[in-house]
Amino acid sequence: MKNLTVSASPHVVQKSKTTRSIMLDVLIALAPALVMAVLYFGYHALLNAVVCMGSCFAFELLYTLILKKDFSRKAVRSSSCWDCSCLVTGIILALNLPRVIIVKSWDLNVYSTMPNVEGVRAVDYVAFSGDTLILCIIASLVAIVLIKMLFGGIGKNFANPAAAARVFLFLAFGLTWANTMGLGSALPASTGATWLSGNKLTNGDNLFFNMFIGNRGAAAAGETCMIALILGYLYLSVRKVIDFRIPLIIVGSAAVFALLFDGLPHKLTGARLVNNMVAHVMSGGLVFGSIFMATDYSTSPNTFWGSVLFGVGIALFTMLIRVFGGYPEGMSFAILIMNATVPLIDKFVYPRPFGYYKKPKEKPLKALDSPLPYNETEKGGIKA
Amino acid sequence: MKTFPHGIHPKGNKERSANVAVAEFPAPEAVSIPLLQHAGKAAVAKVRKGDYVKAGQKIGEAEGAISAAVFSSVSGEVIAIEKRPTASGHCEHVIIKNDGKYEEEKLAPLKNPAPEQIVRRLADCGIVGMGGAGFPTAVKLAPRDKVDAFIINAAECEPYLTCDYRILKEYPREFLMGAQYMAAALGLETFFVGLEDNKADAAEILDKAASDNNICAKMVLCHTKYPQGAEKQLIYAVTKRKVRVGKLPASAGVIVCNVHTALSAFYAIENGEKCYKRIVTVSGGGVKTPANFWVRTGTPVSAVLDACGGIGDAAVKLLIGGPMMGFAQSNGDIAVTKTTSGILLLTADEASAEESGPCINCASCVKACPMSLMPVYIDACILSGDVGGAEKYGAMNCIECGSCAFVCPARRPLVQSMRLAKKKIREKGGKR
Repeated sequence: MKNLTVSASPHVVQKSKTTRSIMLDVLIALAPALVMAVLYFGYHALLNAVVCMGSCFAFELLYTLILKKDFSRKAVRSSSCWDCSCLVTGIILALNLPRVIIVKSWDLNVYSTMPNVEGVRAVDYVAFSGDTLILCIIASLVAIVLIKMLFGGIGKNFANPAAAARVFLFLAFGLTWANTMGLGSALPASTGATWLSGNKLTNGDNLFFNMFIGNRGAAAAGETCMIALILGYLYLSVRKVIDFRIPLIIVGSAAVFALLFDGLPHKLTGARLVNNMVAHVMSGGLVFGSIFMATDYSTSPNTFWGSVLFGVGIALFTMLIRVFGGYPEGMSFAILIMNATVPLIDKFVYPRPFGYYKKPKEKPLKALDSPLPYNETEKGGIKA
Repeated sequence: MKTFPHGIHPKGNKERSANVAVAEFPAPEAVSIPLLQHAGKAAVAKVRKGDYVKAGQKIGEAEGAISAAVFSSVSGEVIAIEKRPTASGHCEHVIIKNDGKYEEEKLAPLKNPAPEQIVRRLADCGIVGMGGAGFPTAVKLAPRDKVDAFIINAAECEPYLTCDYRILKEYPREFLMGAQYMAAALGLETFFVGLEDNKADAAEILDKAASDNNICAKMVLCHTKYPQGAEKQLIYAVTKRKVRVGKLPASAGVIVCNVHTALSAFYAIENGEKCYKRIVTVSGGGVKTPANFWVRTGTPVSAVLDACGGIGDAAVKLLIGGPMMGFAQSNGDIAVTKTTSGILLLTADEASAEESGPCINCASCVKACPMSLMPVYIDACILSGDVGGAEKYGAMNCIECGSCAFVCPARRPLVQSMRLAKKKIREKGGKR
């Protein structure tokens, strides 16, 4: 007699969706942003991405092996790193970093010939930055080991690993986005201060167009090009990896808060008010963060209405930091702050079961349209 | 399109057997008839070893308020009464050697029966809900609450199964008249037939049959979505009423019955036939020739499968019922019962055998759950021993439809967690 498998129902599953397929979908959705980052900021953006993804993968693999005290091939094969979520963390982290970061006391960089002109900073002429790569590895260590694995690995981390690692670099290494313009990049990128670190009320030549295609100076590598981000957003929405409403809610409420905190108090009117709003939405990591970081499964609420609260909170904190805070950009802080509220949101916002009722009070039944005899129904017979 | 919130879209796979006409399955040399083919208490054996029984003779008497009589499906000698495995447990079986004469014992047909007569007849003929749960129909048709809507559940949302669809196509008159009798037993003149919109052709046939026979029935096409055929979900789709948590459908003024139940009710009333055979879908990738058979209860599943090409090398799972809620079997040595709607052989490609991974908190299960529960939390709570948490997130309302486990990208065994949670909550004395 042949041995047949006995197991509990259901006996079929949705084959198309696995943890790994979801993570690969996110990687695919991030590909346009990576391509644009390389086009704008040069090869170093790609190098950062490779180093971040590689070290995230290696740290997760090592962590699981060390914890199991088993270094056999079987243990390697059963490590959780193969679900590819560490690669997603790595690429999001890399796209959240500027092209190069220089740590003055290390200075392991190779510079191209730097013109001896006053006002030109070294960072503009870095051809290869060892500092950046070391920081990438440190950030990956923070993201994977400190934030993700120590809390139980995938699905159990309380904070977004990439956002936490970026904030870590920001605070520990004085990471700055200022003038991270790419050397030898294929497309001309504008130089100078970013819109956010300026007085935020200006509207330069073709500001919107340049912001939309990503042609802006100082920025994290992946967050500039709206077209690439929107492509990724559409892909994730179509594949149903993310709820398409959540990024819209974050961006939408961010626009409203920009209006309330920045536009109206400065007595902007008409076109300038709208300009201010749109520029707020398109600058910084708002769009990137709302599509790829605020929709992170383990660090966002599990219900739609919980996610709405979460999203509005992110928009609120981002705008508070941008307008009233000491930092030009607040998306990663806002995400981290709201990450901390997720358990609370999930505790109170959850659906009531189908047919839930509060008081056992008899309500009159809803009247039915009683079925008619056939000869009285419309032609064709079926009334759906 | 009428439907219910949430739900999933599994691949239907109905084309394998949907167009195969129902054929009579030859009775085997011996049948082993389980005395528990329904919800509630097992019937008590009325015959002894060595007795001669006719087809349709009562061999098991209903025991208690919720139970149903069991009838012999062939004529012949009782050769043993013993405990044997069923699809989901063990119970006493009456084994009858088929003498091949098929002498039948029938009741007198009822003409223009009164409601009480109908209910009495359904109990006398041992008719139970033939969709799978097997709730005694006579008990269902005598509700305590006032009922103003009767729905026939023809959604057949389980993948692969086509027995209800074949009834709608081949026995529309018999089915509709049976349903009309059941509606009459509830004091109603009309009833609804809830179908998924992939059975629109059957709805047309039914409409024609209804007008030909002067039957007041309304065909309601619902969205093709699993679990459209779940009782509360179908009631909501058809009447927009929500059955309150922990209550029976009758509390919302609705009674729902399966298609096959209505067909059996017709034969019981018009012909006086007892309920001892049913239409079974034999399908799945491991079945060479998918079929729909009239099978006598007590026929071994393996005999039915042998007629369709046997259990081949490709098959890895044998299921009784549909792939979403059916029971997996290790072999075909169990008997077909009144509630066996399908016998499926799934191949490795169709059946899921992946190992479960850690929950990634994607909330796919929350979006899929037709009862609006939080499977993700119930799973986490019960695995960490937090019974109160599982109760809070509604574990007792779970209908075990399997939607959550179907969509779970980490392949968590969520339905098992639900069952565990229910058991623990009951032990604790909790309610819905």
